Amino acid sequence: MKFRYAMVCSSNQNRSMEAHSLLKKQGFDVSSYGTGAHVKLPGPSLREPNVYEFGTPYKHMFDDLRRKDPELYKRNGILPMLKRNLSVKLAPQRWQDNAADGCFDIVFTFEEKVFDMVLEDLHNRDQVLLKSVLVINLEVKDNHEEAAIGARIALDLCEQIEDVESWEDSIDDIMVSFENKHRRKLLYSISFY
Amino acid sequence: MVGIMNPVSREKLASLSSSVKFAIDLGSKLELCRQLKHDLLEEDAADLSEFLPSIFDLYSDPFGPVRKFATEIIGEIGVKHLEFVPEIAPFLITVLEDATPAVARQSIACSIDLFRHTLEKIAIRGLYSSELDSDLESSWSWMLKLKEKIYSIAFQPGSGGIRLVALKFVEAVILLYTPNPNGSPEPPPNEGTTIEFNITWLRGGHPLLNVGDLSIEASQRLVLLLDQLRFPAVKSLTTSVIVVIINSLSAIAKKRPAYYGRILPVLLSLDPPSFVIKGVHVYGAHHALKNALLSCLKCTHPSAAPWRERILGALKEMKPGGLADQALNQVHKINGSVEEEKDDSLLIKEEKPLTKAYDAAGSNVGRKRSGTEDSSDLAEKDEVSGKRVKATPSVSEESTKELNRDITVSQGDISSTQSSTRKVDVDTGPVQQLVGMFGALVAQGEKAVGSLGILISNISADLLAEVVMANMCNLPPTHPHTDTDDELLEDMCIVGSDTQAKYPQSFLADVISLSSTFPPIASMLNSQQSVPNKIVKTEGEEEVDVVADPNSALAYAGMAHEDENALLATDLPVSPNIVLPGMKIDLPTPSDIHDTGNLESGIPGLDSSFRNDGLSDTQAASSLVSTDIEDASQEQATSFGGKSPLHVLPSISIDRSEELSPKAAVTDSSSMVSSTATSVVSSCPFVLPKMSAPVVNLSEDQKDDVQKLAFVRIVEAYKQIAVAGGSQVRSSLLAYLGVELPSELELQKVLREHILSDYINHEGHELTLRVLYRLFGKAEDESDFLSCTTAASAYETFLLAVAETLRDSFPPSDKSLSKLLGEAPRLPKSVLNFLGCLCSPGISEKAEESQSGDRVTQGLSTVWSLILLRPPIRDVCLKIALQSAVHHLEEVRMKAIRLVANKLYPLQSIAQQIEEFAREMLLSVVNVDATERIGAEGLISESHKDSDLEKSSNEHQSMSSISKDISADVHQSETSHSGSSPSVPEAQRCMSLYFALCTKKHSLFGQIFIIYSSASKEVKQAIHRHIPILVRTMGLSSDLLEIISDPPSGSENLLMQVLQTLTEGTVPSAELIFTIKKLFDSKLKDVEILVPVLPFLPGDEVLLLFPHLVNLPLEKFQAVLTRLLQGSAHSGPVLTPAEVLIAIHGIVPERDGIPLKKVTDACNACFEQRHIFTQQVLAKVLNQLVEQIPLPLLFMRTVLQAIGAFPALVEFIMEILSRLVSKQIWKNPKLWVGFLKCALLTKPQSFSVLLQLPPPQLENALNRTAALKAPLVAHASQQNIRNSLPRSMLAVLGLAPDTQSSSQAQTSQAHTGDTSNSEKDAAVTEKPKESSSAS
Repeated sequence: MKFRYAMVCSSNQNRSMEAHSLLKKQGFDVSSYGTGAHVKLPGPSLREPNVYEFGTPYKHMFDDLRRKDPELYKRNGILPMLKRNLSVKLAPQRWQDNAADGCFDIVFTFEEKVFDMVLEDLHNRDQVLLKSVLVINLEVKDNHEEAAIGARIALDLCEQIEDVESWEDSIDDIMVSFENKHRRKLLYSISFY
Repeated sequence: MVGIMNPVSREKLASLSSSVKFAIDLGSKLELCRQLKHDLLEEDAADLSEFLPSIFDLYSDPFGPVRKFATEIIGEIGVKHLEFVPEIAPFLITVLEDATPAVARQSIACSIDLFRHTLEKIAIRGLYSSELDSDLESSWSWMLKLKEKIYSIAFQPGSGGIRLVALKFVEAVILLYTPNPNGSPEPPPNEGTTIEFNITWLRGGHPLLNVGDLSIEASQRLVLLLDQLRFPAVKSLTTSVIVVIINSLSAIAKKRPAYYGRILPVLLSLDPPSFVIKGVHVYGAHHALKNALLSCLKCTHPSAAPWRERILGALKEMKPGGLADQALNQVHKINGSVEEEKDDSLLIKEEKPLTKAYDAAGSNVGRKRSGTEDSSDLAEKDEVSGKRVKATPSVSEESTKELNRDITVSQGDISSTQSSTRKVDVDTGPVQQLVGMFGALVAQGEKAVGSLGILISNISADLLAEVVMANMCNLPPTHPHTDTDDELLEDMCIVGSDTQAKYPQSFLADVISLSSTFPPIASMLNSQQSVPNKIVKTEGEEEVDVVADPNSALAYAGMAHEDENALLATDLPVSPNIVLPGMKIDLPTPSDIHDTGNLESGIPGLDSSFRNDGLSDTQAASSLVSTDIEDASQEQATSFGGKSPLHVLPSISIDRSEELSPKAAVTDSSSMVSSTATSVVSSCPFVLPKMSAPVVNLSEDQKDDVQKLAFVRIVEAYKQIAVAGGSQVRSSLLAYLGVELPSELELQKVLREHILSDYINHEGHELTLRVLYRLFGKAEDESDFLSCTTAASAYETFLLAVAETLRDSFPPSDKSLSKLLGEAPRLPKSVLNFLGCLCSPGISEKAEESQSGDRVTQGLSTVWSLILLRPPIRDVCLKIALQSAVHHLEEVRMKAIRLVANKLYPLQSIAQQIEEFAREMLLSVVNVDATERIGAEGLISESHKDSDLEKSSNEHQSMSSISKDISADVHQSETSHSGSSPSVPEAQRCMSLYFALCTKKHSLFGQIFIIYSSASKEVKQAIHRHIPILVRTMGLSSDLLEIISDPPSGSENLLMQVLQTLTEGTVPSAELIFTIKKLFDSKLKDVEILVPVLPFLPGDEVLLLFPHLVNLPLEKFQAVLTRLLQGSAHSGPVLTPAEVLIAIHGIVPERDGIPLKKVTDACNACFEQRHIFTQQVLAKVLNQLVEQIPLPLLFMRTVLQAIGAFPALVEFIMEILSRLVSKQIWKNPKLWVGFLKCALLTKPQSFSVLLQLPPPQLENALNRTAALKAPLVAHASQQNIRNSLPRSMLAVLGLAPDTQSSSQAQTSQAHTGDTSNSEKDAAVTEKPKESSSAS
């Protein structure tokens, strides 16, 4: 695996973690992040979400929610999701605070808003290394099923990117063939570290 | 540190670099490189210079990554030790040409660093000294060469991926060459400090660098960059290049606002349609452009200002998304606009309706006070009203917002209703048009009634609901949902008749009926109409003749009832009773206000309405609010007390009584109402002036309560008027409200209870579906995880609750459940589990066994319809059915099997899965080891079941995993209650399905033959139980024939049973007979398989087979005998009894390899059946046998048996015996013995036969059977006989003086025969005994 990947969604819980988990299993060098201000998980109602800070261990959230209402959180898939997450890494991480994690080659986002935020953040960093980074947005609806599908598609795309010698030369072709294959619109941009 | 290099480290470095060279695989090379880099960067310049060549050497490595790394190392060395630039720069230039793009890119990346550092160093050196050393100068010239080279890459078309970095390099150089307005304008005081380099430092002059020249170069490059994006050039670029250029340009524009004016025109003229590059993928560039423009928009530099409008215009065209909106808003803020709202676009749209709504309220207030002398008085004293008075449609957004808040608070409106109407506002263009159309029609009054009716009847209920909801924003911010038809009617009437009596009753009735059909229209009309009135009024410029204008009259009526009902509905403290007085009635004295109880009771009907609403339980919650309102109203009451003319409050009193007669004709009810109203008016002692609505600040909780109560009231009201029709609209509205209002209120629960309280009469199915679709739409629509999950969860809860109630409260035959599940938008896991429990009672502990049978049928038929109707969940449903098909209760199982085999198996798409599953189950029974293994797997799969099921909803689950899953479940239960080998019922449980499938697909039957041999006794038993029914159902098919033609070894018993079943009661086909015969001839030598078809074989063939048949175990032979003799019903007997016996006698034990014992047994078996083997038969047989040469071995034995069985045959036997004599029976020693035996047995009749023997044989006979001698002699001595006897004979008998010699010879001869046959003799003598004992 020659590239470093980052999977980014808003809370670093569902979509990015699903992809992280899958890519990790496939042996990719992958990290995941969220761009939101907090980590928000559904609560008993829309008005009462469970809000955590980035960096709160998944385990902690898991225990917290299991204590609150195991039935509800099991049924809506939150507990299983957290369980999966805690097997992948310790805690949700925030994209904007990831400078120390080094350069990524490929960044996947799963929502246009997140895509914009990642790009904006990258543009606001000092671009001195001139190391190009490909930011791809794959629109994925934020529910468990779609996340699973999205992760598989992302994996497929990652594998195609791995297959070429340098994505800089062939990214347009990859995108076109991908869009033809999956009938999904992709958005990409190139930024620099 | 001046370096004498540590020799060790020198050596180490040398060895490192050489080992990098010689390392074989890439991984170790890179690792060594890393180490080398680390060590090298520690070294200082002098020593490094030695090593540079060897590092350059590394670049010759065949591996791209190693070359890249080498480049990186060299670049870093260069940055650290700029003195090496003259060596390194040429190196980098060569690297630019590298075949591996990544290496070339690395070269550029290194170059920019090197370039920046060199530039800075030269610049700063030049600042502090007027001359630069030649080294630096040569470094610089090398850097310039490098730069030019990279430029050429950047602007040369088609140089691929490396171009992206090169372009970025251009951007970096441009930025370096141009002054940074935000940077420090002055160079650092001394060389050491590091602040960001700024070219402006060089303004003062520099020996080598000329700011002007640099800036010219920068702008030239910029022009080149911009040219790339101009029309013809842009067409040839790839998307990635465009993206990079756009990003670079926007970065330059942002960082160097001086260029703003040059960059933006190009960006703005980049027409999105022109992005159709090579026909594909334009989003990336489009998006980049959008973001670029947005970031430009944020630029605060003065030079950016003129462009703002154009950028905004361009962005609007591009429809920016969420982030863009925010940015736009930020910009607005920067611009100093007054708006503080985030989603200004929404607000702008909202402004109008809100203002309108407010206006309506305002006008309402004004209207109520139409009778007061001084309306502005209120405005002065009531701050809120004062504000409203100032509100005009063109009000500033800020004040609108405030108003919004005010209205919300004061009217106790439901905030989320507002938000939802906002949505509608924005989304539904057509709906808005419709609303307008309705409005226009209603405005025409009487004339348009007909067309309105047509319009309403022509649009769908859902659309109508949308229209209603959209129309909400046109209402005064009260709560119009409470408008039941009757209330409206009645309210309108009362007000109309009360205050506007001069309108003809008929017109009112028309308007009323119109409004009752579509209440909100009226109110919309109201609000529209009231705007001008209000303005005029509040401005106090002139008095409006309210009465003169029919529209405003209507408005008045509408408003009045809206207000009242809203208060009723939202259930403000102690409900309408208090508020109404507060609103409309000015109490004569303050004490009266406190005495609200009295007031209430003074108005007839109020009490009952309160109770009817069933809201008493909420009293506590609202009491707090009520105090507020009381206070408010008190205050106002006091301030206005006595000022106003008398007004009465008529409307509410008859509210409920009216509802009780909803069907009453409009005119009737209105006249009745008006009469009631009048009576109330006259009887009411309270004469009160009007006031403005009190402003109540509700807490969140209170708002929630109010919303909930409103909803409950709506639901209750709908129950009352269900008969009035129009339920479609109502259920649309209910569903909408139930879903759109905040979920905390548990409105869905209320709704559910409503639905379930009378599923049929409340059109529960339709309403449930509406709710489900709403929730589903929400879950699917929301992109955000929170709302998505919450809605999905609500959906699941709702559906499950309804489904459970349907199961529990309806008879099993009811189709509601099936219909619901068939039409619900999605079936979540829990519902499928529920269905599973229904189909397989006992899966969950709480399943009630009592009515399981019918419930199972219900569940299964539901599953069936789901399989047919919902292909996506077919697999899961199939799994449920299959699970049920191996249920431990036979009743359940048989039902499920019937479904699976008859209905599901014929479906092509799932047949394979069903088969797999059935086979798996079948095999599980046979293979105990496998059972245990799968059982263990089952444990695992059980634990993963949740995740499996989750996946199954969207991804295709392979059939094997399904079957494994189920069989795993099943095995678990199975292994738990039966150890290793399954019991008979257990085996049946697992196999029934397969058997059922066999009847549908006969080729499956073969598998049963295969497993049969390895099956345990119990399993075999179970199989045998099934076979007759199974085979009879299947009938003979080519598949079955094929199976029969080649049965696996060990399955003979099964085969037998199959054949028996096949031949029972019917004539087997020729193919079957042929197959069996072939099988017998080729593979299976066991004649038994032929037994079932024996009756259908030609006689001669059977005769050929006879030895084999005789060889069968006795009981089987007996059966065969019966079959043969009876034959089949159609063809008659195959063999006659005589033929059978003859055939038996035809067997030669030695030749045919059949023990003699078997043959005798066979004979005995025949003799046992005397009714078949009759005297005649025997006679016939013996007759034929006696003619055979040689005589059958058992002939004499049979003769003896025949005599034993039928003594009457003795005459006949004598005849036989005499024929034997003539055949010289004595020559066959075995038969001879029998002959003698027979003779002895049949004496005295046999004497004549004996006397026919030649004398020597006679002598022999007599010698052997001494017992014969005396009677025979006596017989022979009779004169007549004696005379007929020859002399020799007499001599033997000792009746004549004999010639001894001859008799001697005879004796000796006979003697020899005797001895040789002594053994056989014994055997023969034995046999009759046996036979006699047997008979």
